[in-house]
Amino acid sequence: MTDSLTEAPPAGRIAIAGAGIRLGEGAAAFEVVRDIDLAIPPRQFVCLLGPSGCGKSTLLGALAGHLGLARGSLSLDGQPVAGPHPERGIVFQQHTLLPWRRVLDNVAFGPKMRGVPRAERLDRARDFLALVGLADFADRYPSELSGGMQQRVEIARVLINQPRVLLMDEPFGALDAQTRLMMQELLLDIWTRLPTTVVFVTHDIDEALFLGDRVLVMSARPGRILEDIPLAFPRPRGRDLVTDPDFVALKRRCLDLLRPRDGRPPLPRLTPLGLPLAGAA
Amino acid sequence: MSTDEATARRRYRILAVLSPLTLLGAWAFVTAQGLATPTILPSPLAVLASLTDMVGHGYSGVDLATHVLASLRRVGIAFCGGALLGTAIGLLRGRVPEIDALFLVPSELVRPIPPLGLIPLFILWFGIGETSKILLIFLSVFLIAMVNAQAGARACSLDALRAARSMGAGRWQAFRFVVLPSALPQIMTGLRVAMGTALTILVAAELLGGDRGLGFLILDASSFFRTTYVFAGIVLVGLIGLASDRAIALLGRRIVHWEGKR
Ligand SMILES: Nc1ncnc2c1ncn2[C@@H]1O[C@H](COP(=O)(O)OP(=O)(O)OP(=O)(O)O)[C@@H](O)[C@H]1O
Ligand SMILES: [Mg+2]
Repeated sequence: MTDSLTEAPPAGRIAIAGAGIRLGEGAAAFEVVRDIDLAIPPRQFVCLLGPSGCGKSTLLGALAGHLGLARGSLSLDGQPVAGPHPERGIVFQQHTLLPWRRVLDNVAFGPKMRGVPRAERLDRARDFLALVGLADFADRYPSELSGGMQQRVEIARVLINQPRVLLMDEPFGALDAQTRLMMQELLLDIWTRLPTTVVFVTHDIDEALFLGDRVLVMSARPGRILEDIPLAFPRPRGRDLVTDPDFVALKRRCLDLLRPRDGRPPLPRLTPLGLPLAGAA
Repeated sequence: MSTDEATARRRYRILAVLSPLTLLGAWAFVTAQGLATPTILPSPLAVLASLTDMVGHGYSGVDLATHVLASLRRVGIAFCGGALLGTAIGLLRGRVPEIDALFLVPSELVRPIPPLGLIPLFILWFGIGETSKILLIFLSVFLIAMVNAQAGARACSLDALRAARSMGAGRWQAFRFVVLPSALPQIMTGLRVAMGTALTILVAAELLGGDRGLGFLILDASSFFRTTYVFAGIVLVGLIGLASDRAIALLGRRIVHWEGKR
């Protein structure tokens, strides 16, 4: 199983300069993220934290090549990103496995699209299923797996394309706490074996601090990068890291950054008839 | 779990068989009690007698098999053509806004018109031969298949499409391997509805002339007050409908084996 896993491409350097992304049409169009400047070296594990709706998924969509920039530039290893490509794999919160294909064929989907012969792509799919610990489930259908297993298959089917960048949009957000911790450790384990840059979006501060080499905290709309926090915790990381004083201090800092502080007016107090009280805000 | 499923399935079968038998029993009871005039509601046995008579001697000089095959041929050709073309265009409409725009007004103008209202026009244009019968059925199958395929083409999530594209699928591959299979459940449902409608239109279309087909048989028998033959013809149409519906449903379950398991 070693060969097909390690023959991966060399780099995965992301450079974003002055990037802005607009969504919506006509008068409703607005700039979701703005002034993003970011350099991510190869193999770095970057976590993206930010309030809901601040444009994390949008930024990831641009990295994947599903969304275009309104301005600025975005490149991978010096090549401008134009459209989706298997070198930039993406995992969403909800798996996108094809329910009509067996798990093995789901993992082999990317190679099939690129015309890899059947025997070869199924062999490789077996390797990657083993990598995520699901070698015994090759012949099942996705509906026969648990949520965590489905997400592991999803990771395998992205990694089989040997991406230089792995984009993850709250990939464990729909899992129960126990499974989520297990998935985090599995992901770190895989990542140390595969030369891949990871951009990982999450709501969960613990998750970001536990996984990342670096945490980017974004502001509410329009999304900007508020703070770029390097994480120097040694690897391999164990669960007891979460009680480390440095970890706790950083967690407090992230909480502070994420707390809405700019003057959102308090909601008006209502009378029983639903009318605002005279004189109230 | 599995024994529960087995009992549930057995109960389903029993009910599915019991309900038509009950109806048949009620029918036999009503006629045996003389509650209905035989020319209005003949007894099941009388209908069966006419049916066997037709099997042995044909109807109006033509083999029963010939009548049945004439009808099946019309429905078969029109259904296959309408299903294929309607599904293809519906899928395209679901994914390509320009193609949707091309078909939107024409198809929504035609869709509310009852097909039977088109009969005079079709006779005028295509005569009373096979062409207008087949085209009339074709048109209704086509419209139903198109609407369902279009809705089905929108069933797959944006994320699923994007993920496929990010795994190296081109536009056509994403359509072929993601959009099309996601649309299949709805396409198969549409085909079942279309088959039922096709048989309705068939009988009506055969009323408009010709000397063979089950619709002709029913009309001819009714104009001579041979009620038992009218019923026998209706029973045959019903059985064809039941058989074709079960066949499509079975095929659908085979093809769409994942449905309801997501
Ligand atoms: N297609 C679209 N058209 C217009 N506005 C959109 C579109 N998609 C997203 N938005 C808006 O863009 C903003 C950013 O959305 P995005 O999904 O990137 O946020 P997010 O940071 O991922 O949020 P969450 O943490 O809730 O997933 C939101 O305010 C959303 O309403
Ligand atoms: Mg999001």
